[in-house]
Order: sequence, then C-alpha cells, then structure tokens
Amino acid sequence: MKAIIAATVLGVILMFAGLFVKEKKSVASLAVFLLFVLLGVNIWDLVTTAPNETLSFFNNMLRVDRYALWFNTLMTGCTLLYALLVSKEIQRVGSHVAEYFALICFILCGVYMLSTYNNVLILFIGIEILSIPQYILAGSDKRNLKSSEASLKYFLMGAFSTGILLMGITLLYGATGTFNIIQYTFLQSDMLSPMALAGILFLMVAFAFKVSAAPMHMWTPDVYDGAPTPFTAFMATIVKASAFVAFMRLFSVSFGAISSDWMMVLAIITAATLFVGNITAVFQQSVKRMLAYSSIAQAGFMLFAVLAVNATAWQGMMIYAVAYSVATIGMFAVLMKMKDYTYDGFNGLAKKDPMLAAFTTVFLLSLAGIPLTGGFMAKYFVLLAAVEQGKMMWLVIFALFMAAVSAYYYFRVIMAMYFKQGNAELNTEVSATDRFLLAITVLLVIVLGAAPNLILNI
Amino acid sequence: MPVQYYLFLSLALFCIGMMGAMMRRNAIIVFMCIELMLNAVNLLMVAFSKMYNDAAAQIFVFFIMVVAAAEVAVGLAIIVMMYRKVHSVDINILNRLKH
Amino acid sequence: MTNLVYLVPLFPLIGFLINGLGWRKIPKAAGGIIGSVAILASFAVSLGIFFEVKSTGASTVVHLFDFIQSGTLYIPFSFQVDALSSLFLLIITGIGFLIHVYSTSYMHEDEGMVKYFAYLNLFVFSMLLLVLGANYLIMFIGWEGVGLCSYLLIGFWFKNRDYTNAAKKAFVMNRIGDLGFLVGMLLILFNYGTLSYQEFFGQLNGGQVQLSANMYNWIAICLFIGAMGKSAQIPLYTWLPDAMAGPTPVSALIHAATMVTAGIYMIARSSALYNLAPAALNLVAIIGLATAILAASIAIRQYDIKKVLAYSTVSQLGFMFLALGVGAYTTAVFHVMTHAFFKALLFLGSGSVIHAMGGEQDIRKMGGLNKHMKITGITFLIGCLAISGIPGFSGFFSKDEILASVYAHSPVMYYMALGAALMTAFYMFRLYFLTFTGSFRGTEEQHHHLHESPAAITIPLIVLAILSVVGGYVGLPPVISEHHTLNTYLGSVLSNFNVHHLEHSTEWILMGLSTGLVIAMIIVARVATKNPKFAENTGLAKVLENKWYVDELYDAVIVRPLGVLADVLDRFAEKMGVDGVVNGTGRLVRWSSDRVRLLQTGQVGFYIFVMVIGIAVIFALRFFGLNY
Repeated sequence: MKAIIAATVLGVILMFAGLFVKEKKSVASLAVFLLFVLLGVNIWDLVTTAPNETLSFFNNMLRVDRYALWFNTLMTGCTLLYALLVSKEIQRVGSHVAEYFALICFILCGVYMLSTYNNVLILFIGIEILSIPQYILAGSDKRNLKSSEASLKYFLMGAFSTGILLMGITLLYGATGTFNIIQYTFLQSDMLSPMALAGILFLMVAFAFKVSAAPMHMWTPDVYDGAPTPFTAFMATIVKASAFVAFMRLFSVSFGAISSDWMMVLAIITAATLFVGNITAVFQQSVKRMLAYSSIAQAGFMLFAVLAVNATAWQGMMIYAVAYSVATIGMFAVLMKMKDYTYDGFNGLAKKDPMLAAFTTVFLLSLAGIPLTGGFMAKYFVLLAAVEQGKMMWLVIFALFMAAVSAYYYFRVIMAMYFKQGNAELNTEVSATDRFLLAITVLLVIVLGAAPNLILNI
Repeated sequence: MPVQYYLFLSLALFCIGMMGAMMRRNAIIVFMCIELMLNAVNLLMVAFSKMYNDAAAQIFVFFIMVVAAAEVAVGLAIIVMMYRKVHSVDINILNRLKH
Repeated sequence: MTNLVYLVPLFPLIGFLINGLGWRKIPKAAGGIIGSVAILASFAVSLGIFFEVKSTGASTVVHLFDFIQSGTLYIPFSFQVDALSSLFLLIITGIGFLIHVYSTSYMHEDEGMVKYFAYLNLFVFSMLLLVLGANYLIMFIGWEGVGLCSYLLIGFWFKNRDYTNAAKKAFVMNRIGDLGFLVGMLLILFNYGTLSYQEFFGQLNGGQVQLSANMYNWIAICLFIGAMGKSAQIPLYTWLPDAMAGPTPVSALIHAATMVTAGIYMIARSSALYNLAPAALNLVAIIGLATAILAASIAIRQYDIKKVLAYSTVSQLGFMFLALGVGAYTTAVFHVMTHAFFKALLFLGSGSVIHAMGGEQDIRKMGGLNKHMKITGITFLIGCLAISGIPGFSGFFSKDEILASVYAHSPVMYYMALGAALMTAFYMFRLYFLTFTGSFRGTEEQHHHLHESPAAITIPLIVLAILSVVGGYVGLPPVISEHHTLNTYLGSVLSNFNVHHLEHSTEWILMGLSTGLVIAMIIVARVATKNPKFAENTGLAKVLENKWYVDELYDAVIVRPLGVLADVLDRFAEKMGVDGVVNGTGRLVRWSSDRVRLLQTGQVGFYIFVMVIGIAVIFALRFFGLNY
C-alpha cells in the first residue's frame, strides 16, 4: 500500500526533477537513489506485515498479502538491478531521461496494483497504468522510425486488448453482479451461464495478450524488436512477470474452483505459445529478436503455473518471475554492449572479452534451463506444479521437447562466442562497475539455481 | 425493455468495432473503432447497472472514460509522431518490423 | 572415512576452479599438476571409503545440506555411500587419474592445456556427483554436467567445424535421452512423492504404493531412454563415434571410466524398479543385443583407429545392457569395471600411436609399429586379448559371465551375443595386426619420426595393462571357484534377479566353445590382414599366389559378406535410418521455423485479424464441448 503511493510520488518527483536538473547523469543517479528508496518502502511494507496477515485497503479493493508484498519487493529489486545495469544506455536513448525513469516508476505502481488487486476495477486501472507508459517508452527513440512503428503497433493492439478485457469484465458483472474477485467464487461449474463463461474467456484472451501468449502474441516480436533496447529489457521482464501474477491471481483465486471449464482452452494456448515461440526463434538472425521470441517461449512455461492452480504453482511463478527476469536483464545488458545485434556480432567474443562471454553463457544457460542455474529451478517448479496437478502430462512432455529445441537457439550464441572466428565489436567500453554488476547478476542466477529456498520460504 | 436488447445491441457494436479495427487502414479510424468497442462496453455496463440496481458499474464507466481519454492523449501523440515521419497515417506502410 | 565423502567431488571442483579461473595465467606444467593432483587426492579418499565399505558392508546416506524444500517436496543434497557407488568412485578417480597423467604429456603442445585440464576436472566432478547422489535429482545434475563437459571437450579443438558439429551432435543426442530421464523422474515424484533412492526403493519393496505393472514399465522405460542417450545405445548411439573429434585422452575418459557407464550405473542403481518391470527389462536386453551386433559389424569396416575403438565401445556397452536386461546386474557392473581397464588401455595406446604418427589416424597408413614402440605394442596386445576374451585376461571372465547368464535366459540370444563377441575378436585383431605388425605403410617422414612415447604416457599404459590382466580375478566363474569376490562385495546393494546357474558341464562347454571360436577368429584376422588389400601390393610374387587364393576365399566367405553387411548397415541402417530420423527432426524444426516466421507479416491489421480468429477459435472450442 505504501509502495503504491511511494511509486507515484517518486514518479512525479522525477518528472519535476527533469525540469530543473539538466545534467543527464545526475538525473540518472537521482532515479537510482529514488528506486533505492522505493525498495526500502517495499521492505518496510514487508516487515511490518505478519506472515499470515492479510490487509484490505480502499473499501476492500486492494488485498495485500505476504506473497504479493514479497513479489513486489523482488520486482523492485530487479528494477533496481536493471536501472543500475542500463542507466547509461537509458541516457543514450533520448534527451528526456527524467521522464523515462518517471514512467518506469509509474509502471512499478501498476505492478504493485496488479499483485494486490481485489477488484477488477483495480485490475483494469493497474493494467492501464502498466501499459500506457510502455507505449511511450516503446516510441521514445524519436529519431528511429522502427521505434515509432513499434510504439504505434503496441498502442493500437494494446487498446484493442483493453476493449476485450473490459468486455470480459462487463459480461462477468452481468452474470454475477459484482466486481470483487473473491465474490466471483460463487460461480459453479454446473450452473455456469454462457455469459459468465464468455466473460472468463474474454478475460483469458486479454491476459494472454498482456503476457504474449499465442495467438495473441503477434505484437511481441515487433514491439520488442523496435523499442529501444533498454526498454525492451524492462518490458520483457518485470512487466511481463507482473502481468502473469495478475493473470494467476484472477484465475486461481476466482476461477480456480471451476478450473475444469477453462483449463483445456488455456492448455491449447500454452501449447501454441510454446510452439510458436520456440520454433520461430530458431530462424532469427538478430539476437534481440530471438530474445523477443524467447520471451514468448518462456511465457509458455509460465503459463503452466496458471494452469496448475495449486500451491506449488504460486512458488513456481515466484521463482520463474525472478529467475527469468534476472537472466534476461543480464542478457540484455550484455546485448546493449554489442555493436551488432546479430548472431555474427557475437563471433569471437570469448577471445576479445572472456569475462563478458562467460557471463553471457551463464545467462543463456539459465534461459535454456540447465541445472544449477535459476532457470532450471524455475522450469522445474512450474512443471512440477503441472505434474502434481496431474491432468496435463501430454503438455509437460511437449514442453520438455520444446525446451530441447530452445537449447538450439540459445547455444547458437554460445557457439558464436566460443567457436567462431570473428571480431565482436563492442559498442561501449565495459567499465569495472559494469563488470561488477554483471558478476552480481551471474551470482544471483547461480544462487537461485543452488538454493531456490531463499526466495520461496518467506 | 429487457436487458437482452441492450446486450445484443452492445455486442453488435462491439463486433462492428472489432471488424473496423481489423479492416480499416487509417490509424485514426482504427483507433475510433477501438473507442467504439469501449463504448459498447460502457453501454452494457450501464444496462447491467440498472438491472442490478447497483451504482458500482456506473462508477466503472467513469473510470473507463477517463482511462480512454488518457489513452487518446497518448495515442494521438504517437500517431502525430508517425505522421511527421512518413506523412501518412496508413498502418499498412508500417512494416519495417516483420518476420 | 565415510563422512569425508564430500571431499571426493570437492577436490576436482577446486582443481576446476583454479585452472578454470586462471587458465590464462597458469603455466602449462602447473595446470597439469594441479589437475592430476586433484584427482589423485580424491582417489586416495575413494580408496579409504572403498575399504571401509568393504569391511563393514554398510550403506550410508551422508546428508550435506537441504537443497529444495517446499511443501511436501523435500530434496536434500546428500550422498549415497555404498558398495556400488564406492566401486564406481574407484573406477572414475583411478582411471581418471591415469588419464590425467597421460594428458600432461599428450597435451603439452596444445596452447589451451590449462583450460583442457579445467574441463577434465569438471568432467570428473560431474561424474562423481552423478555416482554419489543419493537421489535422482543429484544424479540428474551430474548427468547434465557430464553432458555439458563432453560438449566442451569434444569441441575442444573448436577451430575445426566438423569437431564443433560433433560436439553439438553429442550434446543434442544426450538431451534427447535426458528428456526420457526427466519424464521418468517426474513420474517417480508424482507417484511416490520422493526422489531419494532409500525412500523410493523402500516403498517399492514394501509395496505401500501399488501401481499397475504398466506404470512400473513406463517409469523404467523412461529412465532407460535416458540411459540410451548417455550410454550410446540404438537409436541414440551415433554421437559416440563422432565424439572421437576430441583429444584422445578425452575419448578414453568418456569411453572407459565415465559418461557412457552412467546409463549402466543408473539402471543397476534402479534394479529394484526394473525387477518389477519385466517388459522394460526385456527391452533393455533386446536393445543391448541389437547394439552389440550392429556396432561390432560396423567396426569391422572402419579404417580410423579411433573409430574402430569407438564402435567397439558401443558394442561392449550393448553387452552390458544385455547383461542388465537378463537380470545379471552384478555381471554388468563387473564388465563395466574390466571394460574400463582395457578400453582405457586401448584408447591411450591408440593415442600413443597417433602421437607417434604425427596425428595420423588411418590404419591403412600404419603397420609394423611394434618395432618402434615396444611398450605400446605389447600393452595394446594385452588390451586386445582382454577385450576378445582370451582365458586368463580380465575380459574373459566378465564376458563369459555375461554369456553364461544370457544362455540361461535364452539360448537364441546367446548365439547372437556369441556372434557379436566373435566379431569383436576379429576387428580388434584386425586393428592390432594392421597397426603393429607387417611393414610400415606411411610416408618416409612419418617413418623417421616414429618413436616410443615418453614415460608419462607409457606408465599409465603399463598400469592399465596389468589391471587388464588381473582385473578379472575378482569374479571367477563358478566352475573354478565358488567364491565370487565381486558379487560378495556388491551383495549388500545389488543382487542378480532371476538368473539361473548353469550346470558345470554346460558351462565348460560354453567356455570352450567361445574360446575356441575366438582363437579361430584371431587366426582369420591374422590371415585376412597379412597382405592388406588396400596396400599397393600389385607387384606380388608368384609364390604368394596361393595365399592370395586363401585371402580371396576368406574375403569371399567371411570378410566380404561381413563387409557388405557392415556397409549396408552403415549406409542404410545408420546413415538413412538413424541419422535420417535424428537429422530429420532438426531439419523439420528449421523448416517449420522458416514457415511460421512468415506469419509475422508486420501488418497491424493482420495481427488483429489473427487475434480475432484466435478468439473465435477459443470460443468455438470451449462452447462446442472441449472440456475436462
């Protein structure tokens, strides 16, 4: 609760700071400092809430529990890591650095709302607060036509999906007479009206859009590819993870009891997502675009947590969100150092900068889900949740097969770095601070793989 | 009037909006079609609100309007930015990013 | 001593970290010493553990720390120390150490030597983790680690494109197998709620959770698919011959002491499960037998010294799986052990030859090396005698035990297995004779360069040769001695299932039969290689004409049909069948990627159209009855 207010206030402070502070560097430092403050507020929220306590705010429109607070804290931590790693690149995007950081703060406000909403009105507002700044961030590189194109595409399709979301909410309201997600639970399988079912399906489609699940994924590659790389890194990680948590909150709290009514449809969406994401990634030439498809593929795995509707699924979602975010942020941070975003641009990096290549390898191994990295534990937990639930064995096997396919395109980068001749050109000097931060990121990836309990037993 | 009439009317409007968003090439018209979808939702909300005698849905409608206005502000700015570059608002010429 | 078991994998890990982090700074010689000493230290600890386990016969689980704990799921990071794992520890660290020593000399000219030792230590570390883990998850971590290291080592000389492709092939094929392992693991977890051996086998034997026989079979088959990938069985064996791309000591390490025996270990470890899954056990036997025959027949026609050995490994692994399949688990472990000795010997010997030949691997260009490389020649001969199963050498005892168990199971299978064993004798001696006897067929320059290898290479060879001879005496057949040392030792964790003992007279006959035929095969090989056809021997004297006749006869009656068979199998079964399926999958993925990619047209209208169609399909699916 405090965090929502803090994020808004800090965002406004940053916008005003942009008016008075002209030096980009000092704005960035201020932003990082404010993010530290925000993390502090989150931790304050966390420690002042007892483990089993649930608080309600705004006439029961927000419902704050330990899981949500912990998720918010971790996501803020990831944002901080992200800001530290890429603040230099953000300064290079355009002249309005303060606004970019302010928008990131506003997005965080949306993240907090999405993890704590108890009323679909808050869900709607949260999604909009999350999305509208992203339209702007995607188009922030004004000199670049691709960036504008990404922004317009994202905006049109995002607005379209908002329409779908609202239709779902309205139909559910028509069927139940309430917006409160806990009161939806009186829906029952045998007396589910077509209107309620249609509402649920519309909501599922809208969420599928936000988490870029097939066939609502079409915007993802273009937007991620066109948007300035630092902002792609943010959109693909923290934003996506929080959309997932919102998805899961609604579908397990409200519709968990009637899961048999929507599970098959979501399972097909999951299979399609895994297929499209992994298969299309194979043929890409640009690592950035490959990562966009890979984010679709990873979304396919996260959908398992939504599908499973059990306690392990919540844990799986938490660890997946963090492990995936950390590894992807690290990967993007490396990518931003490269001059050429194609696979060939990585040729011979191991020789030129062995440390950077080693870091990249760890991030890629984590994304591919190799044991002893966070990515393995993440995949393990979400698949375990699906196995425990027991209805989706065919999908689990399909997912494992697709994980094998994913090794192909991740390892292509490793191959390029280690086994190919070439002169990988760096865009900027990799400073000692960068190396230190990347090393911390690598450490996080490995710690998550070795001791996932650190973030699960909270 | 029974609430079904409103339901069918707003579903029809929603579908018209959806079709328009799908088929029109002018970015502004696409955007207007999306607004049409939102207004179909608003209509339905109000109808249900009357049915349940519950004001919550009408409040919701206000929120939708406000957020839609915010979206218009951002959206038109993006379209203008695009127009300045390519001197057209035809969305079909936007295909540098593909495959 | 058992409490110190964590030291065993720790030393190689430390070695890896030192060499891996400082590979640019550390001088070559120091890197080799660090690597070797690390393995020696863990060998010493393993030795202590081995003797302790031998005297107490205890089976202990050493708990290190909690790995995963969530809800009902609890997976500790703990090690299982018992007769089976301590035996494997000895094999891995012992032979691993010899290979490290050998590498210090073999790789001393390579600029990446320190990196090489880092990989080698990591490899040993992963393998130790695999063997020591007290639950399937730890085993899986080691399993994947071994796969990763083999990728790094096979592609060690990465400047050659073929080599990196071979590395990729090995990795991908292993991953296919891993998939099976993972599914099997999840099935166990789902049905029993645990991955720990103790609890799982306890529940299996106690029968608290009754599953249908089918379920046991499925779990067992899934695990076996994992073993197929790692231990190179049909249809996933093709990576192993290609894996020869790595440096020769790596081949020795992969083939003899580690990696490929992982599958055997896993099935032996899970014997309690396999005892309940007769169909899966049958499948294991059939796949093993088919692999043994196929690989042996292909080996007959290979000219690359390492390729012959590679196919021979595949074939020997087939024998081990055959033994597992008929329920003779301890026999399979016995063969793992003897095979580790003589296959390491053969590979290191071939490395010594390649070293002397200046990188040449084609046996058509060798010949008569005995004169120049006495020690290598003699030790190689011992290896050949051992693998062929000449009485008195280690291979004889283990192979004989396998054949006897198979005979008791099914005489038809026995005859087929015997055929494979005879082919083994043939190709090994063909290799030996072509390489070490006759006259030299290489260039003058190579001839000049021929020399015996330095002590760091010959000493491991001699040690392994001694082991190849005496290694078999721990498992004397029942007709000679009632006391089977290895079976007694393994008795606390592993016992044969459903294996009938033969009458002594039958066993004598079988033994005599196989020995006689093997010796005959060696003679055939001798004659067949006397005047190698590929050599430019057109100017043959008239005196030799009769011999030509014999050659032709053998060629027509034995060599050519076998050769044709080998060619046919090579060309159709392997190239088109197995490679076709495996490569086809890859191509299918790329092809569909190229098509699916085009859906991304870049047009917003089309994207919205796809979404609308998606919504329509979802509604149609749901409202027309797709439901749980």
